[in-house]
Amino acid sequence: MRIKNIALAALFLASLMSCDPNKGVYNQQAQTEAAGEVVVADEEYVMVTTFVNFPMYVNHDQAAFKAWGEKMGVKTTVLGPAEWDVVAQVGVIEQVIPSKPTGLLINGTDPAIASAIDKAVDAGIPTVVYDSDIPGSKRHAFLGTDWYDIGRLQGEAIVDLIDGKGKIAYMGLVGQANMESGFQGLLDVVEKYPDITVIGKYDSQGSTENAAKITSDLIAAHPDLAAVCGFDAISGPGIGLSVREAGKVGKIKVTTVDWEPEHLKLVRDGVIQVLIGQKRELFTWYGAQFLYDMVHKTNRLSVDDQRAGITNIPYSVNTGLLKITAENIDLFDPQ
Amino acid sequence: MNQIKLNADLLRDRVATLSLTIVVLIVVSSIIWPAQFFSWENLSLVLLNLSIDAIVAVGMMILLISGSFDLSVGSVVAFAGGLAGYLMYYWGVYVPVAIITSLAACVLIGLVNGVLVAKMGVNPLIQTLAMMGIVRGLALMVSGSGIQNLPDSFNILGQGRLAGFQMPVWYMIIIVAIFSFLVAKTIFFRRYYYIGGNEKAAKLSGIRVDKMKIISFVLMSLLAGIAGIILAARLGAAMPTAGQGMELRVITAVILGGASLLGGQGKIMGALLGTLFMGIVANIMILARVSGYWQQIILGVILILAVTIDLGLQKRADRIARDLVKGKSLQNEN
Repeated sequence: MRIKNIALAALFLASLMSCDPNKGVYNQQAQTEAAGEVVVADEEYVMVTTFVNFPMYVNHDQAAFKAWGEKMGVKTTVLGPAEWDVVAQVGVIEQVIPSKPTGLLINGTDPAIASAIDKAVDAGIPTVVYDSDIPGSKRHAFLGTDWYDIGRLQGEAIVDLIDGKGKIAYMGLVGQANMESGFQGLLDVVEKYPDITVIGKYDSQGSTENAAKITSDLIAAHPDLAAVCGFDAISGPGIGLSVREAGKVGKIKVTTVDWEPEHLKLVRDGVIQVLIGQKRELFTWYGAQFLYDMVHKTNRLSVDDQRAGITNIPYSVNTGLLKITAENIDLFDPQ
Repeated sequence: MNQIKLNADLLRDRVATLSLTIVVLIVVSSIIWPAQFFSWENLSLVLLNLSIDAIVAVGMMILLISGSFDLSVGSVVAFAGGLAGYLMYYWGVYVPVAIITSLAACVLIGLVNGVLVAKMGVNPLIQTLAMMGIVRGLALMVSGSGIQNLPDSFNILGQGRLAGFQMPVWYMIIIVAIFSFLVAKTIFFRRYYYIGGNEKAAKLSGIRVDKMKIISFVLMSLLAGIAGIILAARLGAAMPTAGQGMELRVITAVILGGASLLGGQGKIMGALLGTLFMGIVANIMILARVSGYWQQIILGVILILAVTIDLGLQKRADRIARDLVKGKSLQNEN
């Protein structure tokens, strides 16, 4: 009798377990999609970046990604190491693959993440890279800017600001592929001006204190320093701090990247003359939308795009750059 | 009585308690995420992602047993991959020659660290901190913004597969097995426990402490170099920023695995288990979709909990041992 009861209980449990709630949703999704409607509530789009708590990423990239998720009614998740650690980012990409997210939006931090991107694509996960491209990878699409252009625009601004003569220095995260490309863009512009002397390239190490220390050392060693360029979001406030403390506001010209509130205030105060900004919200909003369109075959180009070896989303999108100066600051930072 | 002694020894052994903790973690995670966590794909990825740290942790465990440590390991990881990549990509050097040259350079770094610490008496913290900066600079010099498109015959060393595991996992297993045997079974490596326990006494007993210390630093750099080569092969690229923050991560894992900053304690298996524990926790946070804001807080809390529980178990083991001694003395009185 007891065995019979146990067997009945087991049968009951088994029948309960066989009622997979997801199964119903998938069936329903299939039916509704067939009927022309789209059910997306169980879809999860995952962003993988590095330095995940970095304010610029949080305020622009992640905010736009989450806003997109809310608008579309899908789940959005942001993952990645808390420090700038590309190897750890590779680990996160690889370890998120087995959970089969609907789409992966990956910050193109370094070409070394290519193999992890390839694993995601090979696992059949739609994968979009943003910010900097990873050209050797199998990514489906890229949205971002060309870092060489960021350097080139800073170079052109510097040449204008110092009338093509004087000592300049530049700093950023030395060794990081996108920034090295930016450095090259700057150098290619200024080398055309023989009266401009490049003192050197310096590693801010992603620290405002370090950027400030480098700048104050440069000012001490070169009282005739004409300009300093920053290539990471952290450099600008550090350079600005030292220029202000040395009483050289307006005498030493400063150009830098990004347009966080602290950068905008420094432009307003006349410490920074030019900001070259990325349209970061566009990276992640449209990056996520590309993933969605790929999953939902929004613009089908053939009977079977996958078999045809094509994707129904743009291969590469340059979202462009913006230039902020004292003249147009009110448009970006209304008082 | 023997059973009680066995219990006390087990509670005192960090390898045993950490193994138990890891088993509990695996069982609980498998129940919560049956499809994702307890899959071959996921578990092999966990091992792959901790393999580089684990190889470095083996060397760090030997150093910590001898009462020292090395903060330059992360830079050596970047330098080793960078130099090998530079030689292969720009000079067209054969893969084995590039690897051997790079490892020889790492040995030289370890030799400088060892000689300055052991012979000149430079504090290991200052010496290896300075070396960390120097070697990171060298890594930046050789690999610039990174070297991609390394030869396939090199990449296969890190991207190849054997019996379902990617190659770095096998290198980790081999290195842990070799050094577990050496440290546990050979007189030469056992001497590090004496040096870490009491350096003066070790010297007086005839152990050539300076030579042993130099060898430990050389081994550390060599293992960090091997880890760097494997990492570059796995990524198919040499990154100058590789290994940043690795030193503290590895030291944490090794302490968690039973080493003491005062020296004289630890097992190689503990180094592996420490990194495994941290690797599994990181994997769980990915599966649980824990946001970046919480990850470091959770990791910190887990580490404190793990060490507190371990200390509790140690105290319990001491109490059992005391009761055992008390019981024996009562027996003798009777």
